[in-house]
Formats: sequence, structure tokens, C-alpha cells
Amino acid sequence: MNAMNFQVNLNGMIDLLSNHLYSDNSVFIRELLQNAVDAITARKKRGQHFEPQVTVELHAAHTAAFHDNGCGLTELEIRDFLSRIGSTSKKEEMDAGDDFIGQFGVGLLSCFIVCDEIVLVTRSSNEGAPALEWRGRPDGTYSIRELAASIPVGTSIYIRAKEDYEHYFEHDQMEELLRRYGSFLDTPIVLDSQWGPIRINDTLPPWRMSREEALTYGEREYYNKPLDVIPLRSSIGEAEGVAYLLPYAVSLQEEKRHRVYMKQMMISEKNNRILPSWAFFVNAIVNVNGLKPTASRESFQENDLFYAVQHELGESIKRHLIDLSETDPDLFAMIIRIHYASIKTLAIEDEEIYRLFMPYLSFETVSGRMEMREIIQTLAFSEQEGARDTRLYVTATLDEFRQIARVAKAQNMIVLNGGYVHDFELIRKLTDIWDDIEVDVLDVLDFSSRFRPLRPIDALQAAPLLAMANKVLKPFQCESSIRWFEPAEVPVLYNTNDEINFLKMAEKTKTEGNELFADVVRAISDELYDVPYARLCFNYNNPLVQKAMEAEDGELRRTCIELFYTQALLMGNYPMSQEELRLMNHSLLVFMERGLGSADGGGA
Amino acid sequence: MRSRFDGLRDQVWELPKGKQKLALMEEAIRVADEHLTREDAYEARMSYSNMAVESSYPERLLISFSWCLAEFDRKPGEHSAHMIMWHYKWVLARVWQLPQIGKSEIERIFADFHDRCLKYGYSLRPYYQQLVHYNLARGELDEAQRYYKEWKAAKRDHFSDCSACEQDSYGRYYFDLNQNKRGMRMLKPILEGKVRCRSVPQTTYVNMMEPLLKLGQFAQAKETAKKAMRSLDGAGYLTEFGSILEYYTIADMSKAVKLFEQTIADGLACRMPWMRFHYFVSVRLFLLQWQSGNRRKKLASPDSVTLEWVEQEVDRLAEAFDRRNGSSYCRTLSANKERQMLKLKAAYAAWKG
Repeated sequence: MNAMNFQVNLNGMIDLLSNHLYSDNSVFIRELLQNAVDAITARKKRGQHFEPQVTVELHAAHTAAFHDNGCGLTELEIRDFLSRIGSTSKKEEMDAGDDFIGQFGVGLLSCFIVCDEIVLVTRSSNEGAPALEWRGRPDGTYSIRELAASIPVGTSIYIRAKEDYEHYFEHDQMEELLRRYGSFLDTPIVLDSQWGPIRINDTLPPWRMSREEALTYGEREYYNKPLDVIPLRSSIGEAEGVAYLLPYAVSLQEEKRHRVYMKQMMISEKNNRILPSWAFFVNAIVNVNGLKPTASRESFQENDLFYAVQHELGESIKRHLIDLSETDPDLFAMIIRIHYASIKTLAIEDEEIYRLFMPYLSFETVSGRMEMREIIQTLAFSEQEGARDTRLYVTATLDEFRQIARVAKAQNMIVLNGGYVHDFELIRKLTDIWDDIEVDVLDVLDFSSRFRPLRPIDALQAAPLLAMANKVLKPFQCESSIRWFEPAEVPVLYNTNDEINFLKMAEKTKTEGNELFADVVRAISDELYDVPYARLCFNYNNPLVQKAMEAEDGELRRTCIELFYTQALLMGNYPMSQEELRLMNHSLLVFMERGLGSADGGGA
Repeated sequence: MRSRFDGLRDQVWELPKGKQKLALMEEAIRVADEHLTREDAYEARMSYSNMAVESSYPERLLISFSWCLAEFDRKPGEHSAHMIMWHYKWVLARVWQLPQIGKSEIERIFADFHDRCLKYGYSLRPYYQQLVHYNLARGELDEAQRYYKEWKAAKRDHFSDCSACEQDSYGRYYFDLNQNKRGMRMLKPILEGKVRCRSVPQTTYVNMMEPLLKLGQFAQAKETAKKAMRSLDGAGYLTEFGSILEYYTIADMSKAVKLFEQTIADGLACRMPWMRFHYFVSVRLFLLQWQSGNRRKKLASPDSVTLEWVEQEVDRLAEAFDRRNGSSYCRTLSANKERQMLKLKAAYAAWKG
């Protein structure tokens, strides 16, 4: 029985390549460079002496020729692999060593994305091999003929742009793309056109530059002067590179765009996986030799080895930052200032980084922003002073912090705002690292119970005000209490549950939601979230509260309560409901009328 | 107020998924409810529903959805039927996860979904798919098998789950029936990389860990656990983390400890009874093993999380679900898992040599 090959019409395949496999149609340039470099590597392996070079020529009518003086091809090799998709002449050699970039043999086909015919002229470096010409078309047909003329060893590929793809064959575009893909290849690459030859790859890759050179290179590439350049290395992935510390803060959501090379050929400018996700404050340029690429050769297969390499590269960054804290404290401080958010993310992931950075990270406290080392000093100082409460408190949300900040400061409490991303977790972790620090999560609803309760006689005096407050504020799910606390100028302390907005949303759904879900909504809001919404604590120490208590006019007392409540909402920046707005307007009008009324009365 | 609303939404975009993100969105909804248009309130709630599904507070989806569905019905021409129905699918997958909701209500909600599918010209495929999962979750295997046939027979359309999610669901179905080899065959297209989506294969890796152990494929289970840990992030995967915790309790106690310490705060904060039940069933198995060893290390978790407390919590939830379902499925689940864990632990130790 004869073995038969599938007959494939390449048109479908080309559509697949251009629309699905490759993210950019210019990839044919990479594939052609790759074939050329691999052919040169193969010839070197055969022990032949020659001056390796790849030349790209631009001719009239949007025609380009890629010449290499690599190993060339015999007729058997041409028939064997060019005519069969997915096969490659590099396979046997690849098994022996791994110096080749290409792996799948579909590279040449990518030329059909931009042209309708490929002409390949080649002479193998085998002794006495003839010159051959292969012409291939996208429908899968091809022809091979022997040429009479003598040509040097190597391969030349001629392609002419098809309609709409001419721009790739313009000089500027071709130069830019050759530089993009091939700048760091070892084999000299020359672009030759009517304007004369230009050497494409005449710079060292940044990982082989000195620190200063690499910084200059980074500044040119990214249009920003990087804060620093970090050498990257992974021995298991045979990877090396540089990471530029960005001079500006970056968002967590920003897609990373690391530039990645494989065996010095650029494979992607927007790789976001080669470094760990926490490293979003750097832009990396990395060359990797030891990882397997995906079919498109634009990224790597994510196997165990890949993750080990990612980890090693991440370690390079970490070690560098740790060293910097000793060798260049000023730069270290600047990095913290700019990449504050990123470092916090990193500190949560990694205990070593946490220990290193935590003392220098700043947090919002009731006494303003402070670095953690200052906070710890303050704590130690108040302990020496014999303070009653030497614990560190943290609120779970920004809103809770705002509610209690002013009053907590007056009580000499050290309360930190845990409402910003990662702060809560970072502060909570303090006790894991520093044994002698106590951290408590502040329960704001219970905050007012810390204050001095009233003497029975004072409580008796306050009882009518409290009773009325509970009645007036019941529709707003707010409970009232009264305590004596500092500062005296604060009349009320308004604390809400951090779920207040959710509970109000549930409340609204009870009346406006779909009937079918009424029990579901009730079960969630009444059984899963069975908590009070808000507490309003009157300050017995405040003169206005005193006056409200003393007021004999029940209506006036009621208006005072309405005003205390709505002012507390305003001060706390809470969105007010229509009913709460009405309450505020009503109480203000009552006071205006009384004020203006008494002024009128005085004038009469 | 418009600028405050927009500002809040901008901040939401910057935040990683989690409680803070939800809290800001709740504030935006409140602002929209009080001061902006109903259109704003609707759109904000639809975004919020998305976020709630990805967090460990899926019950909040039911609140926002119920309002949106009513609003949609009030002005059917103004909003996308496809979007609200897509959210309805999420709701259907969760509404039975609260034991407080009776069987008849669940059935009424399923029936409403069924009628709306017909009304908008969608296939009943997702309806049957959700019925399969609902019945599996209460141990009604015959019913589940009946609906599975209906599910497979219903035609696929653009309202159906993507092929990756469906393939993953087929696998889960057979695992729940304890037909593990068949389940693994179903997952083949996913494992070969032929289908994938935003949540598959992440969840697939977790679902197949226990079946792999049962099949004695320990090396593959180990690899799968590694992949699962890499691909899951955030408290939204609490139940999945519970499954991985079970695996590490068998295979690598130090990793189990780390995972327990990383997830316990989210577990305690989670209010969705079904998620909570499954997570604490896993925690119970972990604590049983932890306490059986002679260990000095103190677990970094609140003092209230004792084996006794966890057992009470598991019993309380199991009883609530069983009472609603009229079965003993949940109460036996925990005991069965304990027996199975001992068996698997011995088999794994023998394999490891």
C-alpha cells in the first residue's frame, strides 16, 4: 500500500494564519529572517567557514528579496518540507540541539498573507549541489527546476506584494520591521535598496549593555527616563533581560507590554506573562532561549518550566530592590513614592518584600499620613508615656474611617484607614511580622460604646431627647445613644454599617423589585444581613446638645434632632434620600422662621 | 451628582474585584436611585450584578437582578432582553443556594424563566442545564438524569452557555454521578485546549481533582492542582479553593495550611449558604486531619474557628438545605467525604511510597 499525502489548498490555511494565528501580518518578515538565521546556524553546524550575512533587497514594483548564505536546500529537502505543511527540515537537527528559532515549518507560508507567489532560489552547501528554483502558489501548487546559472551557496526568497499589502515593501516600513524583529540577532542583517545598504542590527541588546547604556536605550525606546534598570536572569530558562522601573505610577488594570525575544528574535511587544503579575511597575525586555513557543511563536507554552522562569525573573527584581535599600536609599525612597500601589501589591504576595518595604509605606491615620515606622514609633512613645490604649486600630472602609477620625483623634487613639486597596490586609499582617504590635479591627457601630456613659442623673435628663430621636429616626433605620466624649465641638457621631448602601438597595428592591423574588430578597436582607444600619450618638459634652436636651418645646427638640441627623449625613458625604432632604429643609426652615420671627419681634 | 456618580464608576474600574469594588458600586447605585435617572440606576445595577457574580457575595446579584427584572418588565423596549435573560441564567444557578427559599418558589422562578425563554425565542437548553445542576445539588439523581437528556436534546443557540462551559458542565454532571471515567472523557476537548473561555479551564481543573484521585491518577491530580492554584484568583472561587484544600489535605499538608490561612477570612465573610456550606465541609476535613497529627504550629486564623464550631456550622447549613429539599443528602455528604478522604489519603500515601 502506498502512503498518500493530503492535498491541501493553502488558501484556507493562509486565512487561518493571517486571521487567527498571527496577531500582525508583518510577521512574514520575522518568519523570513528566522528561516535565514536558521539556515546560517545549520551551515555553521556543518563546520563550513563563511561570513554569515542576511541581505534584504527592495526592488521596483514592491518586490523584496531575502538572501542568506546559510546551508541552502537540495531538491530532496525542498520536496520533503516546503511542499508539506507542518514539516520542517530543521527537525532532525532540532532533536540533536536546540539552536534554531523556527519549529513548525509553516513560517514560509506566512508570506502568502502578503504575496501571491513565492520564488525561492537556492543552492545547498553540499558539495556540487545544483542551483534550484522553487515557485509556490497559495493554492498549494508548485514547480521546481534546476537553474543553469551558477549561484552562491544559500537561499534567496523573492516576493512581490499583492494588492493592499504594498506598504510592507516600502523602504521605511521594511527598515522599521526588520529592526523590530531582528535588531538583536547575531547574524549581520543588511537592507539594500536604491539608497544604498543599511546595517539593521548594529546595536547590542540592552541586557549586554552597561547600566548607563541600558538606561539611555530605555529612555529612547519608551520616551521616558526610567528610574532604574534591573538586570533579569533565569538560568533554567536560559533567559536574560532588563526591566525598566517606570518613572510614573501605573494602574493595576493596565495591560503589561513586555518585549520578548526568543533566541534574540523579537516575538512579541505586548507579552504580559513573562514576569509575575505583581511586577507591573516595570517594562521588561527579555530574551529567552529555553522555553517552548506556542504555534504562533508570539508567546510561550505555559508549562512548569515557564512558571519557574517567570518566578526566577521576578526574583531578580526583588533582589535588586532589596539591594537598593542599602546601596541607594534615595532612589529606594523615590521608587516607593512613585510605585506605592504596586509595592503594596507586591508586599502582600511576598513576606520578604513586606518586611523590607512596610516600614516605609505610608498610611492614612487620624493624625494625617504617616509612614509605618513613624506609626510604630508613636505607638512605642505612647506606651512609654503609660497610655491606656496602645493598640493600633484599623477600619475596614474609608467611610468608617471618616466617621470616626475626628473623634478618635481626640481620644488619642491611633486609627489607620484600611479602606484603600491592600491597606487593610497590610495592616492586619503587622502582627505576623512584629510580635509586640497589637492590631484591632475597629467596629464602628460599637465605637460610641467606648465613651464614658452618663451618670444616672444625666441619663435621666437626656432620656426625652433620646426617646424622641429614636422615634424620629426609626424610618431611617438609625438608633440613637448619648455619651460624653471629646471633642466638645462635635455634637453627634454618626456611624453606619459598611453595608448600608447595600441594605438600602435591598430595601428599595423590597418595594420595587419583581414580585417573584420577594421572598428571596427578604431572606437575604433579613436573614443573611441581619444588622442595624446606623447609630447616632449625641455628645453630652456639646453645648448645642445640652440646649436641645433642655428645650421644653417638643417641636423644637424634634427639629434639633432632624438637623443633627441631616448635618451628620452631609458632613459624612452620604447620599441623602428624598425624605432625608425634606427633613433637612424642614428643620432649616423652622430655625429660619424662629430666628427671623424673633428678629421681627425684637424690632417691633 | 452626575459627576459624583461618574467618579465612583471610575474608581470602581480601578479596583480589583472584591468587597471594596462592590461597596463603591452600591454607593453609585444609591446616588443614581436618589438623584439620577432610572436608566442610570438600571445600568449601574446591571454592572453591579456582573461584579457580584465574580465576588464572594453572589447573593447581592439576586437583589440587583430582582429590581432590574421589574424595571425591564415595566419598560421592556428600553433594555436588552438578551442581557437581562443572561443575568437570569446566573440567578437560576444561585437561587436554590439559599435554604430559606422554598421548593415551590424555586419552581415558580424556574417556570418564569422557562416562559420567558419561549417568549423571547430562546432555546430551553439553559433551562434544562440549570435543572440538572439544581437536582444534582439536592441528590435527586434520577431527575437530574432525566433533565440531562432534555438538555442535550435541546438545540444550541446564542443564549446557550459557550461550548467550553457546557463541556465543563457535562464533566461535572458525570462526576456528580460518580461516573468519573466518563466525566474525564467529557473534559478531553477542554484539556486538549480545543475549547476555552473566561472561566474554563480554571474551574475544570478544580472539578477533576477529586475524580482523578478516585481513579488513582495521582500524578495527574498533582499537576492539575498546580494548574488550578495558578489559575484561580479572588474570593469568588471560595468553593473551588475548598476543593483544592481537600486535595492538599490528602497530598501536602503544608500547602493545605497555607491555603486555609489564605482563604479563611473570605470563608467567614461569605454569606451565601451553599458556598459557605461547601467551603466549611472542606475546612472540616482539613481540621480533622490537622488535629489528628501532633502539631505545634498554631494556625493563623481567628480563635473562633475551631473544629467544633466548623462542625456546628456544617450541620446547621446541611440541616437547613435538607429540610428544604426533604432529603438527607447534605447531611450525609460531609460524612461520606470524611470516609472517602481516609481512603484516598491511604491510597495517595501508598502511591507516594
